Amino acid sequence: MVNVKKGSTVVLVGTKKGGFVFHSADRRRWSLLGPYCEGMPVYHMILDPRDGRTVYAAAPNPGEVWGPALYRGRLGSNLAVTKAAPKFREGSGLALKQIWHIEPGPADAADTLYVGVEPAALFRSDDRGDSWSGFDSLNYRPGRAQWQPGFGGLCAHSVLVDPRDPRHLLVGISSVGTFESRDGGDSWTTENRNVRADFLPTKYPETGQCVHHLTWDSAGDGSIFHQNHCGTYHRGPGGGAWTEITKGLPSDFGFAIAADPLHARTAYVAPLLGGGNRVPPKSQLAVWKTTNAGRSWRRFTQGLPGPGAFMGVLREAMATDAKDPVGAYVGTNTGQLYASRNEGESWKAVTVSLPPILSVSAGIAR
Amino acid sequence: MDSRVSAGELARLGVTVRIPATLRTYTSGQDEVLLEGSDLATLLRRLDEAFPGLRDRILDETGKPRPYVNVFVNEELVHEPLPQVRLSSGDVVHILPSVAGGSIG
Repeated sequence: MVNVKKGSTVVLVGTKKGGFVFHSADRRRWSLLGPYCEGMPVYHMILDPRDGRTVYAAAPNPGEVWGPALYRGRLGSNLAVTKAAPKFREGSGLALKQIWHIEPGPADAADTLYVGVEPAALFRSDDRGDSWSGFDSLNYRPGRAQWQPGFGGLCAHSVLVDPRDPRHLLVGISSVGTFESRDGGDSWTTENRNVRADFLPTKYPETGQCVHHLTWDSAGDGSIFHQNHCGTYHRGPGGGAWTEITKGLPSDFGFAIAADPLHARTAYVAPLLGGGNRVPPKSQLAVWKTTNAGRSWRRFTQGLPGPGAFMGVLREAMATDAKDPVGAYVGTNTGQLYASRNEGESWKAVTVSLPPILSVSAGIAR
Repeated sequence: MDSRVSAGELARLGVTVRIPATLRTYTSGQDEVLLEGSDLATLLRRLDEAFPGLRDRILDETGKPRPYVNVFVNEELVHEPLPQVRLSSGDVVHILPSVAGGSIG
């Protein structure tokens, strides 16, 4: 076991060939742990913020062909497969393909986890991943047969649990849209008003939007940032229709969006050209930041590759830490991890030698 | 259940299931186990009763073998629905991952 010092920043990186953990006391020099789940695709890997010590990872069972699994372990130790993976109801005709997102439950329910999976569904565990229950009213929702997959599959990739009220949940599904529950998942509404679906005959349908990622605005009032296939959006504390905030960005396409945990109305995105050419505009990897819920954006490129950079940033591959100044992290599908320790102003490569990066998350060791 | 039995004993006792190396964590390292079952679906249920969780590695929730998991009975690849695959004492069931290659990953 490797002892990671308390207070260290921990960046967990899921790649196509394993999970990697970087930790640093000063965010200048990084030490590497791993690989975990070696050789297998790790779709998401997190440090549980409730204890700052438990690591969860979503990857196939050892051997890769034996179905999806959730792994659990102590930071610095090996990860082991939990006792069970989520399962669809027998006779539903659905079979779990992979776990896309791991979301810790509320602060006062330390053993509770949510996972968003493919085919699109939401499951909950109250024993740290050893047993699971599904949200039937979402997972077997009437009309499900008409749900269309995005290019990455029909997946529930974004899960938000309201820290003010754990009965308030949101799920992002590609390419169906955003669903919201205010009663603990017993019932769900579609929340796609004012979100474009340029690829459908109706520009603003009730469902069918290709949500790419959702994240809470750290204002703590229920506001949400949203990166979509067709634009970037913000929704205010009262819920309701989304406000498009794409103006000022170089493209209306991107996958990742990460909120600043210390500053309200502040978020980072990594726009891509979109369509069939998902590379940075002007072949320059850039992170754009808003500090006013998208009314304006600033572009940051110092330390990021380009011109001549033709990589992408996937939906789960951007994260922030909660240190002051806030650290930001972006991983590319060409295996580079960049870190900023000054809230996006400048960036430095942590590594350029990983397999394609599927996810990046950050936490603080305790 | 027992491992490493003679051919004669196999015929008398039941169906042998050969366990691939990556699943032997479920069987405490045993590379084969002996079970009774008149069809393949029943056999795999009994395998799971003996080694909880093992069936879920081989089959998905629809009851079909996972993609890239192949089940053989006496060296014949199974294509039929599992309840239709009849078994007799002395049969040998192999569970094997496909050798897959050529993807961009």
